[in-house]
Amino acid sequence: MLNKLSNWLDERTGYKALMHEALEEPIPGGARWRYVFGSALSTTFMIQFATGLLLMLSYSPSSATAWGSVFYINNQMTGGWFIRGIHHFGSQAMVVLLAMHLLQVLWAGAYRRPREVNWWFGMALMFLTLGFSLTGYLLPWDQKGYWATKVATNIAGGAPVLGPAIQKVVVGGTEYGNQTITRFFGLHVGVLPTLFMLCLFGHIALFRRHGLTPPRNAEKLGRGTFWPEQLFMDSVASLAVFGVLVFLVVSEHGANLDAPADPSSANYPARPEWYFLSLFQMLKYFPGNQEVIGTIIIPSAIMVVLLVLPLLDRIMPGKLSHFLACCFVFGLVGAGGYLTYEAMKSDASDLAFQADRKKADETRQRAILLANEVGVPPEGSAYVLRFDPLTHGGSILEKRCLSCHYFDGKGQISQNEQGEPVSSPQVAADLKNYGRYEWVRGLLENPKSDAYFGKLPQLDGMVEWKKGSKLKPEELDEVARFVASFANIPAETTPDEWLNSPGVADHPGLELFVKDCGTCHVVHPDLGEGGLRDAPGLFAWGSPQWIRRMIHKPGALDLYGYLEPADQMPAFTNAQLADNDMNMLVRYIRDDYFKAAPPEAGSKSEAKVAATQPKK
Amino acid sequence: MNRRDFYRYGTIVVGNLVGLSLAIPGIAYVLDPLLKRKVQGGGEGKAGFQEVAKLSDLQVGVPMSVPIIEERQDAWVKYPKEPVSSIWLVRQPPCDNKVEVLALSSECPHLGCAVSMGEGGKSFFCPCHTSSFDFCGKPTNKIPPRPMDKLEVELSKDSDPKVLVKFQRFRAQSEEQIPLA
Repeated sequence: MLNKLSNWLDERTGYKALMHEALEEPIPGGARWRYVFGSALSTTFMIQFATGLLLMLSYSPSSATAWGSVFYINNQMTGGWFIRGIHHFGSQAMVVLLAMHLLQVLWAGAYRRPREVNWWFGMALMFLTLGFSLTGYLLPWDQKGYWATKVATNIAGGAPVLGPAIQKVVVGGTEYGNQTITRFFGLHVGVLPTLFMLCLFGHIALFRRHGLTPPRNAEKLGRGTFWPEQLFMDSVASLAVFGVLVFLVVSEHGANLDAPADPSSANYPARPEWYFLSLFQMLKYFPGNQEVIGTIIIPSAIMVVLLVLPLLDRIMPGKLSHFLACCFVFGLVGAGGYLTYEAMKSDASDLAFQADRKKADETRQRAILLANEVGVPPEGSAYVLRFDPLTHGGSILEKRCLSCHYFDGKGQISQNEQGEPVSSPQVAADLKNYGRYEWVRGLLENPKSDAYFGKLPQLDGMVEWKKGSKLKPEELDEVARFVASFANIPAETTPDEWLNSPGVADHPGLELFVKDCGTCHVVHPDLGEGGLRDAPGLFAWGSPQWIRRMIHKPGALDLYGYLEPADQMPAFTNAQLADNDMNMLVRYIRDDYFKAAPPEAGSKSEAKVAATQPKK
Repeated sequence: MNRRDFYRYGTIVVGNLVGLSLAIPGIAYVLDPLLKRKVQGGGEGKAGFQEVAKLSDLQVGVPMSVPIIEERQDAWVKYPKEPVSSIWLVRQPPCDNKVEVLALSSECPHLGCAVSMGEGGKSFFCPCHTSSFDFCGKPTNKIPPRPMDKLEVELSKDSDPKVLVKFQRFRAQSEEQIPLA
């Protein structure tokens, strides 16, 4: 039955003769392991093709969605981490196998007459493979891809004459964004695969035309055929490559996804993929206006030499040219290896790089946690972190506030000459727990502490109060609890409404507050009229609206307007702190952000996250 | 088994090993929507009832269209509460005026277009394939496979009761009302 069907098909297509021709190709000297590289490359390309098609089913090329869709593939889709991992490590396998294939072809002299054109097809395929790497690296639109691509396209832009125009076309403008992604995506999934398959077709057709380059003693070794001996070896080689890929994917838990691209991040330690590290390292030896030697001239010269290698036979004896060609290429591999090693060594001993990388990894983990538990906001993937008080608010606090304030005992951290972290000097209060019971209670215990007004001699009111106060520790507890409750007063509530709301008039701390605090601080006229000493009003103290007002107008009459202007906190206008920056800052100070709960014994991973849903 | 046979079978085994270990995760990846247990688009609203109107908003004989507002998870994007669909509310429908409020999904049971008010305001009408229904949701022509989908309604105990509706989507084209899960 099956036979009948295959005969029917053969009559109409002649596929049996085609198969026969493809499989029974004679191999002079017999099958050999050293011939497997080309086939292993083809298999890897097919793996890349298949996994690439799968990834396309779920990838979304735009600056708002790319990172989120890759995150979704990686962390939420069944098998997504495996498919993406194979594609990621497969791209590296392509480069490695390509180098091995090239070395084998060179060693065997298979680039020489009459196979020159096939060598050039091979070169074209190598270019295309590197093009795949370069374009694919950007597509997740994560920090790694963003910065590496910025560097790569700036290198192209540095080329003489046409460089800037080429860069502008490739990037889709002067800014990196949606047009960059769609262009790179189009190249990666459309233009490059088409060219690659055309070149591969030419490469294989010419290879069939000329056959393998036979070893010198081929006569003695006899003949083999492609099927089954060589194909068996090829498939074992492909299995080995695939096995390595699976091992890498499983041991690395898939491919890494960095934090979403953030053009404003100050110290992201950008590095290219490892096989470009030698080029990266070479740039260090060509500073300033010599840069173009490392970026354009040397790589182009290498390419030109590789292209003309088959032609060297025409100007010198064949043995000599083969010897020189091998010296050149193996020398290149050696130099590349050395530069790669140097690049890795220099990073490994660079403390600042390590610190930046550690920070980048923390940011990455935070972004993935938030995307998993909270989701990516509709504004786009970058807002996973821009709407995160811990990440964004924390960084605003560090940049704008910690030059005077401390947070949890630390100011702005920098490195001293020995490379050790040092903190900026403290000038103002420590903002950790600001607006909460712990802060107030600590203040009432020891206002002279550096965490409160120790560094602010102009604010001596609390210190003076402490000297004369007879409140017992339990009473201080109650007062602190009462004051800390001000931070929960909703924004639209008036002092009257607040005083009449449940739990205020009968608060155990209220009476003590009126007696000890109301003489200076105003909250509500019924709770003391103040005036004994100048002091800020405390209605809704520590609430978002209070902190916001304090940042915008620290010199307002109800705040610290009674101080000399030089003694006041500098005001930050709306222009200095954008709306979202202010929101994130306030929420960070108030400890109002998504936290992963510490893992409990026996709990499932799904239950690991606290129920606190962040508010916008 | 001779050498050639070993190569022959070896190639087939090895080839299939590579192919299958890629194909199995690949197929699982493509079938991901079938394998996911979590229903997409379901915030807490899906499990429970949401307020869509007050009873006094509704007039007898005049169906009212109200939006369904829910949080929505669209693959990786989490949307805040926003209109995700709309429903028709009919007060004391003509077929059974003991029912205080009838809530009908505006998604046509035929092929899912939005059912709107027919000409003259006397019936429901789907502009895609001309399904039409009376104000009880019963088909008045043979195009839809079943009546418009009834949603569960609860009225609160307030003096002006709140109309609470449990929103769900149902499979198109079937004769039974089968919830999508």
